Amino acid sequence: MNYLQEALIEAFKLIINLDRELLDVVTTSLRLSVTSTLIAALPGILLGIIISRNNFGGKKVINVILNTLLGLPTVVVGLFVYSLISRRGPLGELDMLFSIRGIILGQIILILPIIIALSRNAIHDIDDKMYKTAISMGATRLQQFKLLLAEARYGISGALIAAFGRVIGEIGVSMMLGGNIRGVTRTITTAMAMETNKGRFGFGLALGLILLTIAFLVNFGVYYLQAGESSV
Amino acid sequence: MSKQNVILEARNIVKYYGEQKVLDIENFTLYKGAFNFLIGPNGSGKTTFLQILSLVDKDYRGELYYKGEAIDYQRDNLLKSRRKFSVIWQNPYLYKGSVSYNIGLPLRLRGVNKKSIHHKVKQMAEKLAITELLSKRHDQISGGEKQKVSIARALITEPEIIFVDEPTNSLDKESISFFNQHFSELVTDEMTVLLITHDLTQVKRLANHINSLDKGKLIYQGCPREYNSNNFHVI
Repeated sequence: MNYLQEALIEAFKLIINLDRELLDVVTTSLRLSVTSTLIAALPGILLGIIISRNNFGGKKVINVILNTLLGLPTVVVGLFVYSLISRRGPLGELDMLFSIRGIILGQIILILPIIIALSRNAIHDIDDKMYKTAISMGATRLQQFKLLLAEARYGISGALIAAFGRVIGEIGVSMMLGGNIRGVTRTITTAMAMETNKGRFGFGLALGLILLTIAFLVNFGVYYLQAGESSV
Repeated sequence: MSKQNVILEARNIVKYYGEQKVLDIENFTLYKGAFNFLIGPNGSGKTTFLQILSLVDKDYRGELYYKGEAIDYQRDNLLKSRRKFSVIWQNPYLYKGSVSYNIGLPLRLRGVNKKSIHHKVKQMAEKLAITELLSKRHDQISGGEKQKVSIARALITEPEIIFVDEPTNSLDKESISFFNQHFSELVTDEMTVLLITHDLTQVKRLANHINSLDKGKLIYQGCPREYNSNNFHVI
């Protein structure tokens, strides 16, 4: 048997046997990604709505900056947040470096532009008649806002799923701000890099397969929501 | 018509789009329980005026009086006034969801209980012969059916005034014929209608009172009999 076959067999064994260490890494990753996506959701969606619904000076510049930030390299975010939370940084006293809080802060900064831009697009796509109709039906301000969210629900959910997909697969932020501490800040991607370097290729491969499955599910979710948008 | 029959009045209404003055109306009267028509060529300001009268557009100069009292633009009072009106828009917007959801939506916004909404939606659908559409999604129905749904949605709250903006524009012959034959039957005696149209049949068949707009100014107000038929070319 060759090296790849052996590694694949080991990877499947680890997955099927629900290896404790493997599960630990996966759950840490999921917990971190869900938390940062949920925290970034509210400000991201609100800012997306504000940018889409208001005309103000500098809107074009903000849109260009947002679009640029969509492809922000994770190590750049890691470096930026590192400079803030390292001992000599302005937030050094909060002791966030090499902690879950540090990774979450970095991931929030990484995905905020994604949520803002995709929510902005979802709101922008809504027909202007929706607002007039809501007012003429006697909707209060809050009810108008709820109707708006309901109309944009597929686009906004797609934005959140895309953001989750971005954080679950990133490595730069987790490595630089988390320090890859076993059982605490070790995520799927940081563990993959480290275990492969150590020669545990099967373990790395198992994590890779799990990450691929999550990525598939995320993409399937986005596809399903887009299909829902066109059929509902 | 007598002053007692007046339900809505507009005085000195001026509206600008940027630098351009698009409406300049000194006095406009809407008569209670009547079919009031607003006619005029494209771009004369009919829809703009309808949006002001129906309290959808607040960005104008002038005064509106409902049953003799000035419209109060304080948020809660404005909402109360708006909820006495309904609008049937040209090319209506239906919200994502079923036809049933769309028809009952104005009642949901008013906090009416589910059972009552269900009952009223069913009743309204029967009146408009669209019961079989109730479970369909908003994007599974034709343009004519959409217009029927928007009529049901506008009437379900039993509004005091219904504003109707070119209801048969871009509809097929069958839907136009349905509207012309049945709309007046759906409106109760207590309801006041302001209808914008280019359709002479509707004017001749339904109008109790005609208002004619041209270039943002009201050039005629009166009953259809007195309206010079030669003027119909401006519709």
